[in-house]
Amino acid sequence: MTGSPAADKDVLARRVRRWGALYQAEATLRSMRAYGGVVLFSSTFQPIVYILAMGLGLGVLIGAETDFSAYGADSYLMYIAPAILASTVAMTAGTEFTFPVMEGFKWRRKYYGAQATALSPQQIALGHILGVCCRFAVHALIFIGVLFAFGVLASPLAVLMVFSAVLGGLAMGLPIMAYISTLRDEKGHAALIQRFIIMPLFLFSGTFYPLTNLPGFLQVVGWISPIWHANELGRVLAFGQPGPPWMVAVHLGYLAGVAFLAWLVVRRVFIRRLGYEEWPGRVPGLKSDLRRQAKQDAKDADEARAEAGRVAGAQMTGAAPRANAPATGSGVGAGLPPVTFRTGVASSYYSGNIRAVFARGLAAIRNNRGVIFLSGFLEPVLFLTSFGLGVSPMISGIEAEQAGLAGQDTISYAAFIAPALLAVSAMNGAVFDSTWNVFFKLKITKLYQTMMSTSLGPVDVAVGEICLALFRGGIYALGFLGVLLGAGLVGPASAVLMWFTALFIALGFACIGMAATSFMKRFQQMDWMMMVLIPMFLFSATLFPIDVYPAGVQWVIQALPLWHGVELMRDIAFWQFSGLTLVHLGYYLAMIVAGGALAAYRMKRLFLR
Amino acid sequence: MTSSLSPARQQAADSAAPAITASSLTKRYGDFTAVDGIDFTVARGESFGLLGPNGAGKSTTMRMIAAVSERTGGELLVAGLDPERHGPEVRARLGVVPQQDNLDEELSVRENIIMYGRYFGLPRRYLVSKAEELLEFAQLSHKARARVEDLSGGMKRRLTIARALVNEPQVLLLDEPTTGLDPQARHVLWDRLFRLKESGTTLVLTTHHMDEAEQLCDRLIVVDQGAIMAEGSPRGLIAEHSTREVLELRFGMDRNAEIARELTALLDAPEVAGMIGFSHIEVLPDRLLVYAGQAEAAMERLHASGHKPLTSLVRRSSLEDVFLRLTGRSLVD
Repeated sequence: MTGSPAADKDVLARRVRRWGALYQAEATLRSMRAYGGVVLFSSTFQPIVYILAMGLGLGVLIGAETDFSAYGADSYLMYIAPAILASTVAMTAGTEFTFPVMEGFKWRRKYYGAQATALSPQQIALGHILGVCCRFAVHALIFIGVLFAFGVLASPLAVLMVFSAVLGGLAMGLPIMAYISTLRDEKGHAALIQRFIIMPLFLFSGTFYPLTNLPGFLQVVGWISPIWHANELGRVLAFGQPGPPWMVAVHLGYLAGVAFLAWLVVRRVFIRRLGYEEWPGRVPGLKSDLRRQAKQDAKDADEARAEAGRVAGAQMTGAAPRANAPATGSGVGAGLPPVTFRTGVASSYYSGNIRAVFARGLAAIRNNRGVIFLSGFLEPVLFLTSFGLGVSPMISGIEAEQAGLAGQDTISYAAFIAPALLAVSAMNGAVFDSTWNVFFKLKITKLYQTMMSTSLGPVDVAVGEICLALFRGGIYALGFLGVLLGAGLVGPASAVLMWFTALFIALGFACIGMAATSFMKRFQQMDWMMMVLIPMFLFSATLFPIDVYPAGVQWVIQALPLWHGVELMRDIAFWQFSGLTLVHLGYYLAMIVAGGALAAYRMKRLFLR
Repeated sequence: MTSSLSPARQQAADSAAPAITASSLTKRYGDFTAVDGIDFTVARGESFGLLGPNGAGKSTTMRMIAAVSERTGGELLVAGLDPERHGPEVRARLGVVPQQDNLDEELSVRENIIMYGRYFGLPRRYLVSKAEELLEFAQLSHKARARVEDLSGGMKRRLTIARALVNEPQVLLLDEPTTGLDPQARHVLWDRLFRLKESGTTLVLTTHHMDEAEQLCDRLIVVDQGAIMAEGSPRGLIAEHSTREVLELRFGMDRNAEIARELTALLDAPEVAGMIGFSHIEVLPDRLLVYAGQAEAAMERLHASGHKPLTSLVRRSSLEDVFLRLTGRSLVD
């Protein structure tokens, strides 16, 4: 067929050899369009939220005591703005270089689709990276636009922050991509990277305060962190932060060096996996699996022996021997123990077997690696360390009255934010478990479909899942409270009460989360929901007292659930109870009842679809 | 609050009643009618098939039987119980093998069976030995500790079936049990299902593979667009709706309809029609199907008259032909 663009195969091959990476980049960008709305919205929304919350909110506290003119900035807001840009880009790298890569190799095997075309493995890798760079650049441009609009950028050179931010994102993301692409399967690795790598590198990168505020050993984390280097570059560009010119070279060199070395590794891994070698990737946790299975084998052997003993005993006494044929199938066979059923109107909803759902969750946790499970409590600890140590030098403390407490004392900043962080961590865990996790099991793994084909009812599943979420949240809270006790930030009596309160708060959010999930149809809607959580965290009087805001804004915040959780925790931590404490409790009670009722009402919609 | 079934209902559920009775069973999604008032009865120990193309309403029917989907109209009894009023009791009597394996990838092969049994409220002690038994049955004993994702397609399918047997179900529902498996894996699976059938388990399966229906079903209904087109044993349906043999001919593209007319005149001629047992010709895009009692004789007649097909094939009639005759469409698009 002459005239067809596909006619001359050699021309095609030459064209792909030259431009192949761009074709792959186009594919990556097109698949991003599925959540394009979220991308654009978050790029616009994030800077505004951070400006309002941190720059203006926390800035009121810090600006009153600390001057940033030594750094070349007029205000706290001006000081942190470029750093927030660089940080948010680098954090995005944490998602764009993890899940989409797993999707390419395993979940949807997109890379193998590309592999079958004229593209080479390194073009596939480079195309993915280029596509993500475009996203970084768009994010950075919108961000810079918003910052200009708020008048917090002093120099037109600030536009160049697009490059410093993208470079920072690559230096952060490419090592992660190199690691993730070696994996045959993702078993919570992305979450581990998020908690153990990205969060510390973000929190100790001098984003919200000069790195020198931290003790020496934590400053080292900042020097390693690509985010710090990108932050400092951004500050030089945005308001001409004074410093030796060679430092600029160091920042640039460090970022470019890390990104380049990581690219070499990425390239090698992609060639191994998508090239003639057909390397299937590393099986994560293989050795520990084998160890655990050996242990389980021994346990089962014991059980089987015990069972054999029982059967033998039964035969001795003349009881019928167990049917030995595989799956007798003849109705209620001799071997099948009697099963009882609940009767009455609710029996189609609840079979009284929440235990089984809970046990399945524990088995799954056991099969995944323990470190993933336990790492959950790390996040509030890191936040507390970063803000407690980093911000404290800039403010002398929070007036008790300002924090809504009686007395004329000053509260240390760490003691002020610690109870709030516990409430936030309870919220995050519960919301994640009741939305993302539930939706994932509903849509992707179809676990609930399996459960619904047995005697289990939707109520068993819902309550079982909530119990699991609380179990997990309870352990995280225990860990964090242990740290607070050790640091002397709360008393033992408060700690005990706060633990129960954390579960109470988690239950409230879990009920609402379940109810919300029953309305969800697509994963993108989940992203939107997550977008509600970040501003709620930043505004709900967590990191600074609510009185920095005008009255109207205060009312809005006071209507949000997290504020009540934070205040409830503070009341307990400082052991000062009032009528408001009851209001906070009532708010959560109402959430549990309303959310629980709605979730129950939509139960069939939730699990039987 | 918990209690066993009353003795009377227990009896109804366990002996007298047919495994499944459906009358005027209907399911509508908005304007779309997926199942349009179908009637059928499945006796205990019977192996019953629902045969039809994709979208015929087979899976919807299965979901209603499995007590996970509400019917829009009609009556349905499973083991003498209404699945909507006695969901848990009905599901406890069923084993469900869904179209797509939905094994729990976070658990090992063995844990999948044990945990599934736990969902039925069975004691763990019983399940530990039951799992051994079922793994052996599914020829997966050597994979007991493996991750689910390391299993082949056929193994996953067998595990899904083994899992569905953990509660020793009276009725096993299989939705497209061998779709997507290679021929060898299919035969292994058929062998296992045949054993179950022999041990007295009622099998209800949907399929769009004729050979599968012929292998496994005592009786089947042919479903199309939510309605039953025919009912009977595979052999009976063929005898009723098709000839004994079929001659498949290819003449190359674009000439099929024209040649079909010529051949009909040739084979339907009074002097040969009796000997050949000619019935009719179906014209498919790529080939002609000549329905005749004696296909070889038809073939000879063709050659004698100078027709030279590119390829020709004589075969026995199958359920595929029955479906084509009944609906004018082929089963697999």
